[in-house]
Amino acid sequence: MTDGATIRAVVNTFVFALASVVTHIGLGMLLALGVHRTMTRGTKYFVRTAYFFPFLVSWAAVALIWKYVLDPAFGLANYYLSTTTNWLASPTWALPTLIVVDWWHTIGYTFIILLAGLQTVPAQLHEAARVDGANAWWRFWSVTLPVMSPTIFFATVITFIGAFQIFDPMVIMTQGGPDGATRSIVQYTYEKGFQSFEVGYAAALSLVLFVVIMVVTGLQFRLSRRWVHQ
Amino acid sequence: MDQPLLSRRTLTRRHFLQATGGAALAAGLAACGGGGGSGGGSSSKELSFVYMGTAEQQATWNKLFAKFTEQHPEIKLKAEGIPLSNWGDFFNKLSTRIAGGQVPDVIQIATEGQRLFASKGLLAPLDDYITKDKSTIDEYYGDMDPNLVEWDKKYASTDGKTYYLPGEFNTMCMWYSKELFAKAGVPEPTPTWTWDDFRHACEQIKAKTGAFGYAAGPEYFAAIMPWLLTNGTSSFSDDWSKPTYDDPRVIEAADFNRKLVADKLSPPPGGTFDATTAAAQGKLAMFGGGRWPIISIRNLKATAKMGIVPWPVKAGQGSPVGWNGYPILKASKKKDDAWTFIKFLISKEGSSFFAQLGGTIVPARKSVANSQSFLEDAPKGTEYLYQALSYATPIPSPDKGAAVQKAIEDGWKQVLTGNASSSDALGKAQTTLEGLV
Repeated sequence: MTDGATIRAVVNTFVFALASVVTHIGLGMLLALGVHRTMTRGTKYFVRTAYFFPFLVSWAAVALIWKYVLDPAFGLANYYLSTTTNWLASPTWALPTLIVVDWWHTIGYTFIILLAGLQTVPAQLHEAARVDGANAWWRFWSVTLPVMSPTIFFATVITFIGAFQIFDPMVIMTQGGPDGATRSIVQYTYEKGFQSFEVGYAAALSLVLFVVIMVVTGLQFRLSRRWVHQ
Repeated sequence: MDQPLLSRRTLTRRHFLQATGGAALAAGLAACGGGGGSGGGSSSKELSFVYMGTAEQQATWNKLFAKFTEQHPEIKLKAEGIPLSNWGDFFNKLSTRIAGGQVPDVIQIATEGQRLFASKGLLAPLDDYITKDKSTIDEYYGDMDPNLVEWDKKYASTDGKTYYLPGEFNTMCMWYSKELFAKAGVPEPTPTWTWDDFRHACEQIKAKTGAFGYAAGPEYFAAIMPWLLTNGTSSFSDDWSKPTYDDPRVIEAADFNRKLVADKLSPPPGGTFDATTAAAQGKLAMFGGGRWPIISIRNLKATAKMGIVPWPVKAGQGSPVGWNGYPILKASKKKDDAWTFIKFLISKEGSSFFAQLGGTIVPARKSVANSQSFLEDAPKGTEYLYQALSYATPIPSPDKGAAVQKAIEDGWKQVLTGNASSSDALGKAQTTLEGLV
């Protein structure tokens, strides 16, 4: 029984972390590019603050706000989507919903890092590429991305580690339910250690967490040699 | 005994003895036990009392303490209210303190923690004091439902000694909106109404006013146990040693609740529906509660609109009950003063105060529970909360209370949302529970 639950928690956490990395880096990059390229100075300040702001709000408050938004009876989400989905109680939707909420909450951080990275790309390189006749896409691919690669690498590692330790939204919004569909490793560790008093089991779980993060981060560093511009 | 619970979601009366508390407690004991009292014991100057109370409640408590100091100027009382929202966190905080060598003389402990604290050898037996002050205690017990005295012996001790004097408590009854019943032309519930009457009322009210009939939820104390007990079953066997969560009557109760949700007589669970407010606004006809909804209902100025009635019955009357106990810590160096203080808490004067204490609890004394100070500015039928003691069952709280509660609530939630069939979901919860006890 416990084994099944443990595997489920590990799988949930991996799914969450992967989805988190992909959406944070992908959409974060788009946001950063949009803000960096197309905006006037004033709007840029405003938008930058607006995107970063949710990150300053504590998880507890974010989780409660989203619980109201996602309420099955009178939530805004169902009102605008014209459904009656019980987002947080459905085994299909609970985890994707938490991924979206997490994205909303922490995208500001990834976005700021990526934006800072974008600003380090020297204008001369773009100039030179433009003179050589490279189009926007090509300039992005051969100039922006390589120069930014250390930033992207950093953001990937940080996002993964953060996502792998996810705990708050599960505990506050779904309590790991329905039927363990959103239970993360850290949450399971907490339940085992502090609710079931199986302290040894909890210690083992936290060690698993440590090893996974170490191995994955190590792997990321190893792979980074292939694509990160030194 | 309960915290003022502000929304239905927090109605879990207690999120229970979160084991954080238990674990820290155990660790603390291990640390203290070996040291032979090094650093244990309270400061010798003051009598320290720790209780759970919000800032709002502390103001009321302080008046009570002032009265105590007036009567006993020789005892310097240092009372500390900890503003937490559930017993688990409270016990957790307390255990950390005890582990750190700060041992209070007297603590307020709810049913969920009583056996745990007693079984860890933290408390001094009260039997000698009770013999010494026989007349006082006899008078107190005489003014109380005998059940409370008996449960206190049976569930709050493992070795036959008395560690707690039982205090104020909560039971479960059904709160209903008289307004909605009138609007729908449904006669108000009677004390002997049945599940069928209840369901019928929900249907009528929904059809005629569009309001929800009842707010079904997964809260162990407030929304699961009343249905099990009125169906002649419970979550655990009588001595809390065996879970009975896959009993056919439990499944029947869960199905009954699921049907309310499926037929939209209840709002979908898992949301942020606030039952008290909805009822006060005429959007909900009934919700389960002990004494605690009174705060919100008073704030919403809806006391006159509401009524209280015993829980509808299927197999027989039933309600869970949880109460506060007042023990003296073994490490206390001021046990006599502590006893004087406990005697004051259970005195008629102290007890009357509880009645006014923001109204989250029912006083243990019959005479106070039937007095104006308790019944005034409260819905019609408030007296049923005390009467429920005669047929109530102490809330089963095995040692791993937090994990037990979670398993029970998770299983119930699966049924309510329709994610799993009741026999599957509750069977699975039963397996988890068996692994916990």
